[in-house]
Amino acid sequence: MCDSEGSCHVLLLEDEPMILMDLEFAAEACGCNALCATSVKQAMKHLDSERPVRVGILDVNLGEGQTCEPVARELERRGIPYILHSGDLDRQNETVRSLNAQLIPKPANANHVISTAMECVGRKCG
Amino acid sequence: MTDDEQERSRPSQAMGNPKDFDDSPERFRDENPDARFGGASEVLFEQAMAQTRMAICLCDPNKPDLPIVFANKAFRNLTGYDEAEIVGKNCRFLQGPETDPEPVRKMRQAIENEDVVVVELLNYRRDGSSFWNALHLGPIYDSEGKLKYFFGSQWDVSDVRAARAEEHYAREMARELSHRMKNMFSVISGIVNVTGRMRGIESEAQEINDRVQALGRAYETTLDDASAGRIEIGQAIRAILSPYDVGESHLRLLGNGIRVPFAAVSSIGLVLHELAANATKHGAWTRDDGLVEVDWQEKGEDEQRVVEVTWREKFGPKVTIPADAKGGSGNEIIDRLLRFSNGCIDREWHEDGLVAVARVPIWKAS
Repeated sequence: MCDSEGSCHVLLLEDEPMILMDLEFAAEACGCNALCATSVKQAMKHLDSERPVRVGILDVNLGEGQTCEPVARELERRGIPYILHSGDLDRQNETVRSLNAQLIPKPANANHVISTAMECVGRKCG
Repeated sequence: MTDDEQERSRPSQAMGNPKDFDDSPERFRDENPDARFGGASEVLFEQAMAQTRMAICLCDPNKPDLPIVFANKAFRNLTGYDEAEIVGKNCRFLQGPETDPEPVRKMRQAIENEDVVVVELLNYRRDGSSFWNALHLGPIYDSEGKLKYFFGSQWDVSDVRAARAEEHYAREMARELSHRMKNMFSVISGIVNVTGRMRGIESEAQEINDRVQALGRAYETTLDDASAGRIEIGQAIRAILSPYDVGESHLRLLGNGIRVPFAAVSSIGLVLHELAANATKHGAWTRDDGLVEVDWQEKGEDEQRVVEVTWREKFGPKVTIPADAKGGSGNEIIDRLLRFSNGCIDREWHEDGLVAVARVPIWKAS
């Protein structure tokens, strides 16, 4: 699933730029190539690009009522694993429950989030 | 005498003054010659109808459009209508512009099926004001099993509904606050990490983040309890320490049910975080079978009241008392923190681990 340069593409969907940057750094430190998105639209664009996404890390609540659900469904459709990274365990409960994915509650260490995602695809990190 | 009793003892003269309402059994019998009340039933009916604060009416399904044939005084009080305005009407006269058709549909269905139903619907008083009516409706049969009446009892639940709405709102607010707080801690964490990476001080950034996140976890547990003013410390302790308990078998929490002021949560939270970080680096949690027991008790009276938290490491590596026992930034943070809150900590190095007892005052003049 990794492309010719051997780098592993990780889709990061997170509407908070500082958290996104933190995850991006952690992904890079782990030898991955981070595809960063702050909205469903951007994430879908990454999915339609040439680069094969190996695993997704999705923030559940993307602000203004938007959730990661469409992206999660698309990843499921393509058989790409993903994990959820959310601080809102209650309000989005139904969305979270309907998605069959591991959930890491915020705030969490970025390295921990990345290495958990890597475990999903059988890669070791750091 | 209460109003009810006066009302009841008055002879049947209700028709003279529409404001007077006669809910005596005689009156009911006059208008419903088929109905029989005798002995205990008569006494029961008379007194119950007059005294109950529950608004009650009977409707006659054998007349066109199910008119009300009897309504007690509480019904009049609740709706503000005189008896003459009530009797003969279908109950729907209490409905108004904002009444939801759904409970009305349920009622209609229950009447058709001769079922019992309880619905809440918005009704209107004579003066146009509205109230939430918890209405219980059900059929009444005679001794031959023939449908005689529909019985309706109504209760004004406006206050209950308002309280429910307020509680709901408070819960929503707490959730929103919780969400925003977690998000804020996440962003702070991101800033610290990113700065750390940029400046090449990642391990320092990590140390800062661990403290920030321990505090975040401790505060998180206080949200549910915030209205009570005092926080159940056990939840906070569990939240702070559980991430260190890899495999969930290296931590034993012994304490139970103490409430402490909000300020004590952050002191105790950060102290426990430092002890845990130290145990992970040098103490019991460097061993596979290492164990930490944490207990918390309330001690002392009035001004002397403290929460006493005992940290006991077991099966750790053989302890060599640090030459500089108070050294290390973690220990310094603990000592300073506790000094600020007039607390203290005693450390004893046993053969297989540290035993630390921290005391934080929780007395509050009230």
